[in-house]
This record gives sequence, structure tokens and C-alpha cells, in this order.
Amino acid sequence: MSQQSLTVPAPGQAAGRGRRLLEIAGAAAIAATYIFLVLTQPADIASGPVSFSALVALGGFLLGAVLLIVAVLPVLPTSTLVLIPVALVLNVVLGQLMGTTGLPFYFDSIGTVLIAVLAGPATGAATGALSSIVWSFFNPTVLPFAAGAALIGFLAGLAARGGLFRRFYLAPVAGFVTGVLAGVVSAPIAAFVFGGTSGLGTGAIVSAFRAMGDTLLAAITKQALISDPMDKAIVFAIAALLVYALPRRTTFQFPFVRRYRVLAGNAPVAAPAPSKA
Amino acid sequence: MRARLHPLTALTAAGSVAVITVAADSWLLSLAVACAAGVLSVRAGVAGRVLPAAAVILAPLCLSLLMLHGLFFPEGHTVLAQWGPARVTTEGLGFALDLASRTAACVMVFLLFSFTVNVPDLVSALEARRVPAQFGFVLASTLTLLPAIAARLDRIRQAQESRGLVLRGGLLSRLGAVRLQMVPLVLALVDDAGNRAQALDARGFGIGGPRTSYRDVADPPAQRRFRAVALLLAAVAVALRLAASWPAAGLS
Repeated sequence: MSQQSLTVPAPGQAAGRGRRLLEIAGAAAIAATYIFLVLTQPADIASGPVSFSALVALGGFLLGAVLLIVAVLPVLPTSTLVLIPVALVLNVVLGQLMGTTGLPFYFDSIGTVLIAVLAGPATGAATGALSSIVWSFFNPTVLPFAAGAALIGFLAGLAARGGLFRRFYLAPVAGFVTGVLAGVVSAPIAAFVFGGTSGLGTGAIVSAFRAMGDTLLAAITKQALISDPMDKAIVFAIAALLVYALPRRTTFQFPFVRRYRVLAGNAPVAAPAPSKA
Repeated sequence: MRARLHPLTALTAAGSVAVITVAADSWLLSLAVACAAGVLSVRAGVAGRVLPAAAVILAPLCLSLLMLHGLFFPEGHTVLAQWGPARVTTEGLGFALDLASRTAACVMVFLLFSFTVNVPDLVSALEARRVPAQFGFVLASTLTLLPAIAARLDRIRQAQESRGLVLRGGLLSRLGAVRLQMVPLVLALVDDAGNRAQALDARGFGIGGPRTSYRDVADPPAQRRFRAVALLLAAVAVALRLAASWPAAGLS
């Protein structure tokens, strides 16, 4: 009886395949939009078609982010789902708290990375995209970067699955690589939707590349390659610090952490106790 | 009067206006939209929150754009002034004006929406449109959690200060102070979330299927027609822009 049920397709299997297709479609939409934007970038931005690129960038990236959310959100267990608002709040509050230290970074993805380490790549991607959508209630300029935020969450989850958070010195390395990719994907948004970056410091770096005659997209991509990897390396290190500062009882309650042995050390000995109670 | 606007009508209006503004690509229209949103926010009585929020977002962006395109715009031809590598060009200033006014219009319109919308109404309207219930939970939960977090962070800081935390000195001691506040905050939030998950599961939150709602948001037919027209206009604007710019973009 029980052996038979292993071979009979479960009713949820078709739905699961549909969701996997949605996830792939979301990722494909983001990748295709990026490639299209780079191939068709207007050679002369002064002559006008930047509005066209802005519409394509907004449409393609938002479609990808929404597809990812639709694919992932309904199948999340409640214990993971309730963490997403916490992650969003952490993104905002910790971002502001780090601002008081006077360091020139933005640190607006600490919550996303933390959730991705605890709950996996798919949850991380959905958290990143949702974070941008909810945050846009206070700051609408965050909304177009939803695809980049989803990519950060996804890559952080992959790094955790690959065991990069088991050694503390590997976490910033994973953050550095994530920053390179996320910066490159977000650059067209900054270039075509906003025409630049919103900080004076980053604006100065873009200006320097522009003065050397780069196109706007090239200048902003180079600026992102300077700022983002450093920022994400620090964010991943902070997330690793936070995960290890949390008690084992809390971190090991996540199936993702137990299954892929995300963190160094063994599960707490008291773990089987709740099943008896 | 504004309270009777269906949340989706307001959202559709904001989204359509933003899309049409981006597609139109005219700084005059952008400035007009931004001003109109400002006037509407005064009439709705939320100008005191919308305008400062917009200023905090837009001021650094506009300054950055002005510096970037005003001084360095290699594509510009009409040079107004020149200092070494920096050239002030008409095209650069025009480009900065275009993009700054466009972003200002979109930011103002969306802030007007988010500061006037009734979040419980929006959540129940979204659920009635079969948006996953989880999305409504995340949205409403985050918006109510944020003020509570600020109060909790304040309590943690007070507790740590009473134990000898001093917020001064060099970078390392500041970072140490941040760690002393962050770890209790994150721990408490994750712990709270665990409790909330159990409470939600006990009430059948994780189970799929149809849901009923005590909150019924009136959706008059006139507003439905308005939404259809607004979406149609936005689609037409996008189609016109794509048709007008496609060959130019494809050739380059």
C-alpha cells in the first residue's frame, strides 16, 4: 500500500511542476530583459529613446519578480511565511541603524540574506522581490529594483545550500560574487529608469567614468561593480554573524538549515524532545 | 469622498498615470503630474507626510542627476561652459530635467496612493481578486510591524544603556553598540514569528481553499469602468511608445 503510493503521482505533483515552470519563466523574463536592454541600448541617449528602454526594463523586471512571487509564495509553510515581514522590517530598520555608524554603504538587504540562509533560495528570491514591493509604499524608487533584490536572495540561498556559511570567511566571498551579479543586473534600471544613482558618492563615481567617455549604462555598471560587491560582502558577513548569534534552538528549527547542514556545528541535542511532548 | 475610492481604483489610477508619464517622455507633462499629485495630497490632507517623504527621496537623486549630466555628458554638442573635463551642455541639462521630472512625477503619484489607501481595504480587495492570501498577510503584517519595531528598538537601546552601553567613540565601539542592539532585536523578532506561525496555523491559515471576509469593500460599476479605461489608456501609451521607438532602438 505504502509502496504503491510512492509510484502513483501525487495530486500536488502537477501543481508543483506548474510552479517550477513559473519560477523558470520569472528567471527567464529577468535574464531576457537584461540581455535585450544591453543589446538594444540607445547609442545616443540624448536623442530620446531612453523612455523605450525604461518601459522595457520596468515591464520585464517587474514581470519576472511577480512571477517568482506567484510561484513561491503560496507553497511556503506558515513558519517561513511569518519570517518574511520580519525580513522586510530588518531590511529597513537595520539599514537605518547601520546608517548611524557613518559607513558609506546601504545595507538594505540584511533581512533578505538572513531569511535566504535560514529558509533557502526560493524563499530568499520571493523575500527580496516582496521586500521591494512593500518598501515601495514608503519609497517608490525601490520598486524597479525588485528583480535585483530577488537575485540577491536567490544567490544567498544557493550559497547557504552549498555550505558557504559553514566557514565564516567564505560568507563575504559569496557576498562579493552576489554583489557582482546583482550590480550588473540592476545597472540598466539605474541607467534607463532613473538616469543615474541616487547618492552623491555613487554619482561622483559614475561622473568620473562618464568624463572618460563611457556610455551611461557602462558607467553605471562599472560603478555598481565598485560599490555592490563590497556592500554585499559586508551584508553577508553581518548576516552570518546574526545567524550564529541566534540560539541553535531557533536556527535548527528550519528544515532547510537541518537538511543541507547550512551552519557549522551539530543540531542541538534537545532537538528530538519536542516530538515527545 | 476619498475614503470611498476603491483601493484598486486608486492603485490603477496611480499605476496608469505613472506608465503614461514614462511613455510620454515630456518634462512638461511630468512636472504637471507631479504638481497635480501635490495639489491632490493637500486636498486629501496628507501633504504633511507626502511632501517630506518625496523630498527625502528626490533631493539626493536630483542633485546627483544634476551633477552627473549637468557636468559630464559626452553626447552633448551645445557647450555652455567648460572647466577642464567638465562641460555643461544644453543636452545634458535637458536630459537631467527629463529624468528628474519623470521620477518626481512617479514618486509623487505612488506616495499619494500609499499615504491615502486604507491598507485593510486594499488587502481584502486583493484577496477578493484571488491574489494569494499570503501576499496580503505579508503586506499588512509589515506595515503594522514597522512602527512596533521602532518602539521595540527604543526599549532595547534603553535597556542596554542602563547596562552601560554608551553611544560614542570610534568606529569599533559604534559597531559594537550596533551589535548589542541588533542581536536582541533579531532574536526577539524571529522568536515572535515562531509564535505567530503557531497561532496562524491553529486558525487554518496554511490551508488552501476559498476564504470569506468580514470586510466588504464597495466597488461601484463606475469605478470598474474607470479602471478599464485607465488600463486601456496605459496600454495604448505603451504600445505607441514601443511602436515609435522600436526601429531606432533596433538599429543602434
